[in-house]
Amino acid sequence: MRTFKALLKREFWEHKGGIFYTPAIMAAVFATMMIVFGFSGDHFVLNGEHKIDFSQKLPTVVETFEATPDEERSKGVQIGLHGTGLVFSLVSLVICLFYALGSLYDERKDRSILFWKSLPVSDTVTVLSKFVSITLLVPVSYFIVITIFQVFFLLYFTVFSWFGGSSGITLWASSNLFGVMFNNLLHLVLASLWLAPLWAWLMLASAWAKKVAFLWGGLPILMIIIAEGWIFQTSRFAEMFAERIGKSVMIQNSPINNLLGGDMFDGITYTAGEVLGGAPFWVGLGVAAIFLAGAIYTRRYRDEA
Amino acid sequence: MSTIIKAKGLSKSYGSFDALKGVDFSIERGRIVGLVGPNGAGKTTVLKAILGLTSFDGELEVLGLNPSRQRHQLMQKVCFIADVALLPKWLKVKEAVEFVTEVHPHFNLERAKHFLGKTKINWNSKVKELSKGMVTQLHLALVMSIEAELLVLDEPTLGLDILYRKEFYNQLLAEFFDEGRSILVTTHQIEEVENLLTDLIFIKDGEIVLDSSMDEVADKYFEVMVSRDDAEKAKSLNPLIERDVFGRKVFLFEGVDRSQLEELGEIHSPSVADLFVAKMKEGK
Repeated sequence: MRTFKALLKREFWEHKGGIFYTPAIMAAVFATMMIVFGFSGDHFVLNGEHKIDFSQKLPTVVETFEATPDEERSKGVQIGLHGTGLVFSLVSLVICLFYALGSLYDERKDRSILFWKSLPVSDTVTVLSKFVSITLLVPVSYFIVITIFQVFFLLYFTVFSWFGGSSGITLWASSNLFGVMFNNLLHLVLASLWLAPLWAWLMLASAWAKKVAFLWGGLPILMIIIAEGWIFQTSRFAEMFAERIGKSVMIQNSPINNLLGGDMFDGITYTAGEVLGGAPFWVGLGVAAIFLAGAIYTRRYRDEA
Repeated sequence: MSTIIKAKGLSKSYGSFDALKGVDFSIERGRIVGLVGPNGAGKTTVLKAILGLTSFDGELEVLGLNPSRQRHQLMQKVCFIADVALLPKWLKVKEAVEFVTEVHPHFNLERAKHFLGKTKINWNSKVKELSKGMVTQLHLALVMSIEAELLVLDEPTLGLDILYRKEFYNQLLAEFFDEGRSILVTTHQIEEVENLLTDLIFIKDGEIVLDSSMDEVADKYFEVMVSRDDAEKAKSLNPLIERDVFGRKVFLFEGVDRSQLEELGEIHSPSVADLFVAKMKEGK
């Protein structure tokens, strides 16, 4: 257990750029933009004639907000909060893609694998730590940053409420912040686990590749798609693959989609219960286990020149 | 004295190339063994087999364990420095120390602090900010703080300047080595290690051509400086190799009676480097 914790820490040290600094910087940039807009964006001139003075409109806006029925208002605030996480979630998927591709390749490229292998840590535990880092550490870290940003988001609009003549308590009461946090974390982790077969496949490619890991990761997928189309004139694999990726984004944004009654994805909802209760999720984990076993075997028995 | 490495019929082929042709050797506890051979002779293959980093045929036992099946247990008792600068560039010094502390049951943090305290290495630096020599110092500090029974060094001083190279071996002798431990080292810079070795193994084309203690080497190999007039006489005693030095000839003999050689001229023990050259040219 102590070893595993150390390995996760090791992963964080190596990837803190992608795991933490990327979302943190994004959040800082968004926050700065919001603050700058808050100070300077009072007068808005549209098409050179429609001049909008926000500060004059604020009391009306706040009044309308407070007068909205509780349920609807809460929905609106929650959608707003979840909306702030949207970009972060998508970025986390891209980060994981590169993470997985480099996970067992970079250490061979810089030959540091010989250092890691000189320590009494088995290949199984090492590979698993990288997998857990991708499926758990990354989403949890993004969750933390998103949460901080959401709190800022609420504070920001609290100040607006003050200028509009309200205490802002309604805003916080409507936010269901803990519910939003829980949903956010749950769906980030679920979406990452949903993509487990992809991560594990990329890790296998990463362990296998002598050069350009992304070719080993991408070409076989492309070749299966082409071969299937050529031999069977079908595109099941491509559809399955596209569905996997598409649904991961759906899972990430399932909280908003549910709040919108499915409007976000053409009326289709994909809730946590549906994910966990369906075979595809578990089959995916099974497939991931096979690829991971391959990655462990490859790391263990490959000759380090 | 107990045997810590036992190899019997150790072989390894890469396709049609036989890197190791069924070698036998053993290494005892408390010895410093130099494994010397030209590039491609099979040195690294031997080391990799011992460390469980490659598959092999034949029998090999390291500290009572099978390196290919019990690699994980083996790494608790063995440590190695495979090459300079293989610590990952992104790693910070303090992170390296923390990591090894947490994963290695026999790591002594106080010792590591003591060793690092004697260097100019900054605790907060990343490996990529350190000079090559400092990276080696860091790696050595980590490795020497592990209470290992066997230390394997593969070209540990490659690319280091001479100050660090001297320091490296001095520290190893003073701070790490004792009768309970063994060191197995390969290097191209034989002159650097020849005074600290207790045993010598020469390897050539996947075969062992010399395997003896330094004492045995001193008893068995002699270098004699002979004037040109006596050259023919010396040649009749079957020297391994001859070379010219300042108009005189130096012959290297293997297993020739010392008293016989004393008649010819001044007798020296050959340097390991000269012995190496002689052994590598033998049979050609």
